[in-house]
Amino acid sequence: MTYLKRDARDEIFSGFSHGDLEGIIDENTILVQRTLRSGQSIRYDGNVVVLGDVNPGAEVAAAGNVVVMGALRGMVHAGAGGDENAIVMSFRLQPTQLRIANHITRPPDNEALEVDRPEIARIKDGVVTIEAVSTGSERQAKVT
Amino acid sequence: MGEVIVVTSGKGGVGKTTTTANIGTGLAALGHKVALVDTDIGLRNLDVVLGLENRIVYDITDVTGGVCRVKQALIRDKRLDGLHLLPAAQTKDKTAVSPDQMRALCKELKQEFEYVIIDCPAGIEQGFRNAIAGADKAIVVTTPEVSAVRDADRIIGLLEAAELSDPKLIINRIRPKMVRAGDMMGIDDMIDILAIDLLGVIPEDEMIVITTNRGEPVVLDQVSRSGQAYRNITRRLLGEEVPMLDLEDTGGFFGRLKKIMGLK
Repeated sequence: MTYLKRDARDEIFSGFSHGDLEGIIDENTILVQRTLRSGQSIRYDGNVVVLGDVNPGAEVAAAGNVVVMGALRGMVHAGAGGDENAIVMSFRLQPTQLRIANHITRPPDNEALEVDRPEIARIKDGVVTIEAVSTGSERQAKVT
Repeated sequence: MGEVIVVTSGKGGVGKTTTTANIGTGLAALGHKVALVDTDIGLRNLDVVLGLENRIVYDITDVTGGVCRVKQALIRDKRLDGLHLLPAAQTKDKTAVSPDQMRALCKELKQEFEYVIIDCPAGIEQGFRNAIAGADKAIVVTTPEVSAVRDADRIIGLLEAAELSDPKLIINRIRPKMVRAGDMMGIDDMIDILAIDLLGVIPEDEMIVITTNRGEPVVLDQVSRSGQAYRNITRRLLGEEVPMLDLEDTGGFFGRLKKIMGLK
C-alpha cells in the first residue's frame, strides 16, 4: 500500500466529501514526542500535539489547538492569535493557567485539581468551560 | 580513569553540600580514592561541612589561575586517607572560573581519582554551568516541596540539554508522617513529575544539623537513619542493589506499644 505526501491531499483522504475536507483537515500541526520540563516552551503558529506531560513551569502556545496526551500541569495558550474556536484537550487537565485567545483562566483557589479522565476546554457562550471528553459509548448511553 | 559526578538541584538549601560530603566520605570509607570539588565560589560550605576549613591554603581559583598545582590545593581529609577536598574561593565569585577551565580541571582530577564529586551551587547561571562542564554523570537532589520539585525539573531539563542524560534523583528531608497525613509530597508524586531514576531517600534527621556543625559527615555515624540512608546510596552508586530504607519512624517504645494496641 502506498502512503501519499501532503500535496496529494485529494488522494490521501478517500470517502470524504470535498466540502468536508475544507472544514475538517488542518495540516498545520506539529507532534512533540516528549515531556516538556519546567522552563521549556513551544510556540507554534498552528496546532500542537504533545506525546507526554507538560510539567509545571513549561509553556505551550499555539495559534491553533493544543492536545496533550499526558498530564497538562503547566501553562497553555490555544488560539494565541485570537482564534476563539481553539480548544485545549488533555488526558489530565491540571494547568497552572489556561488561556484561549484573549481569555485567561486559572483553577479555583484552595482546590486541589483531582482529574482522572480526559477533559477538553473551549469557549462556550463567551466563557472558558471545561467538560469531560465524552466517548462514543457515553454518548450512546445518554441517548438511551 | 575516574568518573566525575556533579551534585546539583536548582533550589538552594536542599542538601547538595551535605550529600556531596556524605557520598564522598562514604565512598572513601569503603576504600575508594575520592576528590570533592566545591564550585560554590564566594559562598563556600563544603570545607565547613567536612571540618577542614582551617586547612585551606590554596583554592580552585588558584589552580585554574595557574598560581599553584592541583596537588598543592587538594586537602586530605582528617579521618580518611582516600578523601581529598578542592575548596572554593571565598573572596571571589563565580565569574572567577570558566566552563573550559573546569573541563580541564576535571580531566586532570580523573587521572588520579576514582570518583570526582562536584558540589554545584544553587541556581542556573555561571556557577551551574561551571559545575556541569566537566561532569560525566549527575545527581539531582530535591526535597518533597512543590518549589524544590519545580526547580529540580528545570535543572533536569538543563542537564538533558547539556547532554548529561540519565541523572539520578535523591529525595532529601522526607517526613513519612507528613506524607501519610497528605501534608507532604510522596515519593511517587515526585517521580511522576521528575521521571528520573531514584538513587535514594533520606529522612529528616536532627543528626544532620549536629554533624554538619561539628564537621563530621553523618554517614560515619552508625546510629542515625540519615547516616544509614547515605551509606545505602553510596553502595548503590557502586552498583550494589540495596533495598530502600524503611522510613516509618516507630516513635520509640511507646510508639511501638501504641501500634500493638491499635492506636495511632
